[in-house]
Amino acid sequence: MANTDKQVNELIKREYEHGFVTDIEADTFEPGLNEDVIRRLSAVKGEPEFMLEWRLKAYRRWLEMDEPEWAHVHYPKVDYQNISYYSAPKRPEDMPQSLDEVDPELLRTYEKLGIPLHERAALAGVAVDAVFDSVSVATTFKEPLAKAGVIFCSISEAVHEHPELVKKYLGSVVPIGDNFFACLNAATFSDGTFVYIPKGVRCPMELSTYFRINAANTGQFERTLIIAEEGSYVSYLEGCTAPMRDENQLHAAVVELVALDDAQIKYSTVQNWYPGDENGIGGIYNFVTKRGAAIGKNSKISWTQVETGSAITWKYPSCILRGENSVGEFYSVALTNNYQQADTGTKMIHLGKNTSSTIISKGISAGHSSNAYRGLVKFGPGAEGARNFTQCDSLLIGDRSAAHTFPYIENKNKNSIVEHEATTSKVSDEQMFLCRQRGIDPEQAVSMIVNGFCKEVFKELPMEFAVEAGKLLEVSLEGSVG
Amino acid sequence: MKPAPKLSSAFLEPAGQKLPSPLLELRRQRGTALVDMPLPTRKTENWKYSSRYLKLDDTLAGSLTSTGKAGTDLAVEGYHAVFRNGVMVPEASKLPDVDGIDIRRFADLSDSEATKLAERLDNTLDSNAVQLARLNSARFEDGLLIQLKPEAVLDKPLFIVCETDASTSGSAYPRIYLDAGHHSQITVVEEYTSTGEQSAMVNAVTEFTLAEGAQVTSVRLSSDGQNVQHIGATGARLGGNSRFESHAVCFGGPLRRHDLQVRLEQPGAECKLNGVVVTQGKQHYDNHTTIEHVAPHCNSEETYRNIAADQSHAIFNGRIHIHPDAQKSNANMSNKNLLLSTGAEIDTKPELEIYADDVKCAHGATIGQLDEDAIFYLVSRGISRREATTLLSMAFINELIEQIPVASVKEASQGRLNHFIEQTFVEG
Repeated sequence: MANTDKQVNELIKREYEHGFVTDIEADTFEPGLNEDVIRRLSAVKGEPEFMLEWRLKAYRRWLEMDEPEWAHVHYPKVDYQNISYYSAPKRPEDMPQSLDEVDPELLRTYEKLGIPLHERAALAGVAVDAVFDSVSVATTFKEPLAKAGVIFCSISEAVHEHPELVKKYLGSVVPIGDNFFACLNAATFSDGTFVYIPKGVRCPMELSTYFRINAANTGQFERTLIIAEEGSYVSYLEGCTAPMRDENQLHAAVVELVALDDAQIKYSTVQNWYPGDENGIGGIYNFVTKRGAAIGKNSKISWTQVETGSAITWKYPSCILRGENSVGEFYSVALTNNYQQADTGTKMIHLGKNTSSTIISKGISAGHSSNAYRGLVKFGPGAEGARNFTQCDSLLIGDRSAAHTFPYIENKNKNSIVEHEATTSKVSDEQMFLCRQRGIDPEQAVSMIVNGFCKEVFKELPMEFAVEAGKLLEVSLEGSVG
Repeated sequence: MKPAPKLSSAFLEPAGQKLPSPLLELRRQRGTALVDMPLPTRKTENWKYSSRYLKLDDTLAGSLTSTGKAGTDLAVEGYHAVFRNGVMVPEASKLPDVDGIDIRRFADLSDSEATKLAERLDNTLDSNAVQLARLNSARFEDGLLIQLKPEAVLDKPLFIVCETDASTSGSAYPRIYLDAGHHSQITVVEEYTSTGEQSAMVNAVTEFTLAEGAQVTSVRLSSDGQNVQHIGATGARLGGNSRFESHAVCFGGPLRRHDLQVRLEQPGAECKLNGVVVTQGKQHYDNHTTIEHVAPHCNSEETYRNIAADQSHAIFNGRIHIHPDAQKSNANMSNKNLLLSTGAEIDTKPELEIYADDVKCAHGATIGQLDEDAIFYLVSRGISRREATTLLSMAFINELIEQIPVASVKEASQGRLNHFIEQTFVEG
């Protein structure tokens, strides 16, 4: 075992390989939040009046709200006045129009991440709306998308070019007063992604935003809005890494999905933000509100997430199943190590007839971390013939780790069926013995077992993400066996 | 936001004084702590689904006075202690005369015994979780203290019948404390019944402490009338290799709330918690259970079944908490529900909170209906639809009733449940 311990210790010491800071001059606001800051933010972005009004309304609402404390996470209070609410790479007037024009510094950043933008885009056939800090700096593959009629742009752009869509849908799924963090986001969101798939169009490629948090003390408030018109289909990928920082960074994003009749939205996330060091110092606070409204008949919204990063995760991608026969899915792998804390899960609100939902959640906690699944499955009185299946399993690695399950099930319809099951266990000695007996070292054995544990979720990910996710899990778990 | 309503001071007026002074002092202290206690609202997590049923107006604040004689329809087959409105009625009771078993009402305790008891009351319950049951500690007027010396065995079950006479408005606060010495054995049947038509509240607290190797079986039947709110709390602390079994048969009412908290404090302790809940009309029942695995090598097994019909509301919240170092814990929880009509609501929340890695924990929850194919199968063999649904519903819960170790209670429960279920299917 001595040898193993040594290996393990070496692995434990391994540092976050994506930790670095890109030295780019940023045009950053002074820390603090008040109405003036919001006016300035809106002005910098040249927003129309209706957006400013919307932001101010949210801000006033936010002032009256209290930070939620029900989640199973502990962290020092965030000082919202000590955060800068805007940071953009300099020279916004000569924003690059293609990859060649992109600041080479930026490209090097992506290269360090191991996922060169152009290579990735070219190889995978993925259009990337890369969000570097708060302003979209490179948008590629716009043309083939435009040909299909797909709108894929930053939300700032959408506010100018498609105000009618923004007005109609922004805040329709996550209203401004929905919760403390969503409300803060509504007031201060800096940028984000806007996707519109017209009627009957199957989006010709998988869309992706690759964003990372950069400049110190810049809370990043992303806002994503995806609208799938009747009979359309889109698959959207979101992935994140963040540089190493000692100070906690706040991230409060909002994602809204709208699926109309027969539309399908598949939203996949790989989240690998800086989780803090092995003593729990630093790391990102990830307070995200994600919600999809399946408004139309036969519509489908599917969330897949692999969460390995962030010091604190507070995230519940949800589906409101309003349309008849609409389908909601949630596949999640949440891994916590060291002192990470995650409180994540989903909400499936069944309102329409014959709606169905599936929840598969796999939590893995190692080290001193705490990993909670919190979910709500709710059947309204009109949810005739609705169906839910939930399975949430937890795997514990190390005797100081914690795993929790808080499922809320509320049912008001007699013609519906809900099933929930959960298990918690550790990697069993028998499994380990079997692997080691066949010459597999413990590190690899655990990785194999964990990968097997997560397989149900990984198979839902788009191929290129599945590869990344498997690798991420391996890296994140290193050092937790012993 | 308007401020949360507070407990009316009328509930803290001095109650009956026929208790030894240490207990009166304890009551006074507990009462002081409740001054301005905020009442649960929808925002109170553990009252989320029930607070709207709760009514604590001043008419309930007074103690109940008894006029007539209430009675149980249970065939009492062993020993029995009868309480009326929270005060023991010795002439209606028959207590065992068995070596090593000492059963006395609080009012009869000497000061030194009462001091000892006062130190131990409430120590099986987490007072933050049972806000309203704390009212009992400030208001109880009598109680039953059951002490089992090491290795004492009570040969027949002890029935504790708590009758509430609601011919006037008010509240009753029955209280039971059981202390089981090492390797002692007892079966206790608590039955809550009521007569009278006025609105009333029963706020009952029962506590069990089990020393090494003790075996305690508790059966709890709640069949108060539809004018009676019932708020109950049961706590149990388990020593090494002891075993606690709880069987609850729950009939709905205007507000029915029961908190069951079990702490497995020494290695080898195990518990089995079974519950059957049926609600109809506009009834309500809310069961909250907590199993704390404090020590390693403990087992727990929990099974609750709810049937909700009409516009009724059944709630189950089960929590399993595995403490750090409680390795080799085994915990299983299952909650199955039958939702028989749209309009009825079932809310369930089976929670796991786990801080140790070498454990096996699982929970399962389902909400569904009777299997149409099964009904069809029976109907096609000439059984009426009404009979078929009754049969299948009974089958759904009977598995748990069958486990009740007291034959007379088992049969009586089966009869009552069968009657209840038959009533529910009016359309035949």
